[in-house]
Amino acid sequence: MGFVDLAWLVPLIPCLCFVIVGLFGTKMGEKTAYGGLLVVFGTAISFLIALLVSYDYFTACYPAAVESHILWFTIGGYEINIGYYIDSLSCLMMLFASFISTLIFVYSLGYMHDQEMRKRRYFAEVALFLTGMLGLAVSSSLLELFIFWEVMGLCSYLLIGFWSFRHPEGDDKADNAASAAKKAFLVTRLGDVCLMGGLFILFLAMGSLDYTVVFNADNLAAAWAADSGKLLLAALLIFGGVIGKSAQFPLLDWLPDAMAGPTTVSALIHAATMVKAGVYLVARCFPLFCMDKDIMLFVAIIGGATAFFTATMAMNNMNIKKVLAYSTLSQLGYMFLSLGAGGYLVALGMETGEEHLMVIGALGYTAGCLHMANHAFFKALLFLCSGSVIHSTGTEDMRLMGGLKEKMPKTAMTMLIGTLSIAGFPFFAGFFSKDLVLDVVFETFEESGSISWVFILLWILGIVTAFMTAFYMFRLWFMTFMGEYKGGAHGHCHGESPNCMTMPLMVLSIFAFAFGFTLTFGWDGVFTIGLVDGAWLVGGGEAESGLHWIVELFTNWKTYVTIVLVLLAIYLAHCMYVKGTMNPGKFNKDGKSALYTTISNRWYFPELYNQLSWKLGYGVAKGVDFFDKQVIDGTVNGLSSSVVGGGDLMSKAQDGHVQSYAIIVVGGIVALFVAAALLFAQFGGL
Amino acid sequence: MIPLEYFLAFAAVLFVIGAYGVLTKPNTLIVLMCTELMLNAANINFVAFSAFSGDAIGQVMVVMTISVAAAEVAVGIAILLNAYKVRKSTNTDDLVSMRW
Repeated sequence: MGFVDLAWLVPLIPCLCFVIVGLFGTKMGEKTAYGGLLVVFGTAISFLIALLVSYDYFTACYPAAVESHILWFTIGGYEINIGYYIDSLSCLMMLFASFISTLIFVYSLGYMHDQEMRKRRYFAEVALFLTGMLGLAVSSSLLELFIFWEVMGLCSYLLIGFWSFRHPEGDDKADNAASAAKKAFLVTRLGDVCLMGGLFILFLAMGSLDYTVVFNADNLAAAWAADSGKLLLAALLIFGGVIGKSAQFPLLDWLPDAMAGPTTVSALIHAATMVKAGVYLVARCFPLFCMDKDIMLFVAIIGGATAFFTATMAMNNMNIKKVLAYSTLSQLGYMFLSLGAGGYLVALGMETGEEHLMVIGALGYTAGCLHMANHAFFKALLFLCSGSVIHSTGTEDMRLMGGLKEKMPKTAMTMLIGTLSIAGFPFFAGFFSKDLVLDVVFETFEESGSISWVFILLWILGIVTAFMTAFYMFRLWFMTFMGEYKGGAHGHCHGESPNCMTMPLMVLSIFAFAFGFTLTFGWDGVFTIGLVDGAWLVGGGEAESGLHWIVELFTNWKTYVTIVLVLLAIYLAHCMYVKGTMNPGKFNKDGKSALYTTISNRWYFPELYNQLSWKLGYGVAKGVDFFDKQVIDGTVNGLSSSVVGGGDLMSKAQDGHVQSYAIIVVGGIVALFVAAALLFAQFGGL
Repeated sequence: MIPLEYFLAFAAVLFVIGAYGVLTKPNTLIVLMCTELMLNAANINFVAFSAFSGDAIGQVMVVMTISVAAAEVAVGIAILLNAYKVRKSTNTDDLVSMRW
């Protein structure tokens, strides 16, 4: 028995922390940050165990997946199992989730230091949140995954609404936080219902939800042959769940609003947990989605469209956290674009039997995973940096910041690294994964035949998004750290944040810079998917050695297109926001042009939601309410009031006169005798 | 010998007079007296049947009824006295608090 059998401990330790801190946090006192230290410690242990498990897995079992389960319960003839499933994908997920969470929790000790007793609630909830994510990563069946998926949904609701009462900036903000939490919960709920429906249908089609059964190529082929419609519907509904969780078009609106929570929670949701669960689910269900290439096409289109639209929304936003939120949506769009485009080729390859298509397609999987990991690092870094800035200036409005570079040198430098990384500046982490994604999309365009116009469109959207990403991220950085010193909400900032906040930033910035180089150390072999001897296998591919990918990227004209666009965007942002040689107001008629207002209103998505929910949702709810109150309640109330009324009426007979009772008794006896006498006369004897 | 039917008719008349009194008289004391009439109507029946059948058990029953009736009158009048103390009236129309 190796360490790999300890995988179940990985989610269990944060769960224990949740229980202990939740129950006894207030007794632990200020010295341990009301349980905060315990959570940091537990998460670190959890990360160490994840590290041991991964080490053991890669040295002993790789590339075959390690699966172990026990019987949970039996329904009819169906056995529902619970257990763990370790392959390179789940190793990746639990490693970066636990590692980044550890850093975020350390940072939280500083960020939340003035929250006193509320730290107990904060740390208990984030511990449970992490339990959800780690549990999701090690789950061995889709049902188990769904449970942890829901745990995360609950925790996101609780944490986004953390400031829903006694907000440090007043009651308006508190109401805002409460409604944002509700929105996040309801919107993701829509996705979760889809996911649950998808799992039911999948269960109906396959008779089990265990990964080993469901993602078995033979079982899938058999189920497809028996009833392709069911699998198609299941895959679509599961993707519906992903859309809700990862905030893709058209359920994207909750994530920007979720910024109402503490910044550390935003970092947690955007980098390590929650939205990454959707990407993980698509990567995990890759074999299922590959059964039909149109599903993969759908995934790619949703991803590409989200990447583009949300990037436009970030262009003119003045709130530092909202810009980052839109950039998350946009980057998630890239991941789905990559998985979808790659998956399209894999599905096409399976259909036509062309091996080389599947090999190219698997690259989409590789690129998606790499971008997911890279994004986790640089987005955690960016959010924590923005948190540090907010902590210091007391505002989220970038117009009130500016010139903070001298005041907060550490934050400024680490955030610059994160910005360069997400913008895709050469040799930073984001550069490798983003160019790989765009590469895959372009190759899909070349190979996909009649539908190729879609992919060239998606590729163009992708590079335009890359341009916009570089622009708005540098706009953010320049507006915050360069230019004239404005000093935030109170006219002066508190200077650099304490060490427990800047240390995580530095650690993260190393990863945000260097994680892309994993590509040269065999990433593409470990995180790939393919049919090996007729069975789906994650990992175990042949890695391109050494500098292959760097050579590949730099001998490719497409890479230069994006590099030029990125540099152009940075230059543009520099002219507009540092040198001031170009007035941004000139392009949008000082914020009055139609495009500017459209983007400010998020392409009227919130408006659309409101209209839909008012007209449709509220109408239906009113109808249901009418039915409930009038018909159902009416029946019940009518029945009870008729009984009560009848009783009232009858009780009038009890007038208290002993003699009237006696008359009834005597009258009754007489009537009885008369009847008996009549019967006697009628029938002549008894 | 007086025929049995005379006794029975007499007892029936007595019983109906008693019942009429119980049902109509406003004075509770008279109601009590009327119940005695009804009891004694039953006693006459007992005695009559006992004498005609030559079985003493009917007369034993009558002795028993008389003793129970004595106890009943004692209890009844005691209740009546208490009711009078509380309500200052023994009229059946005034003793109507046991109602809806």
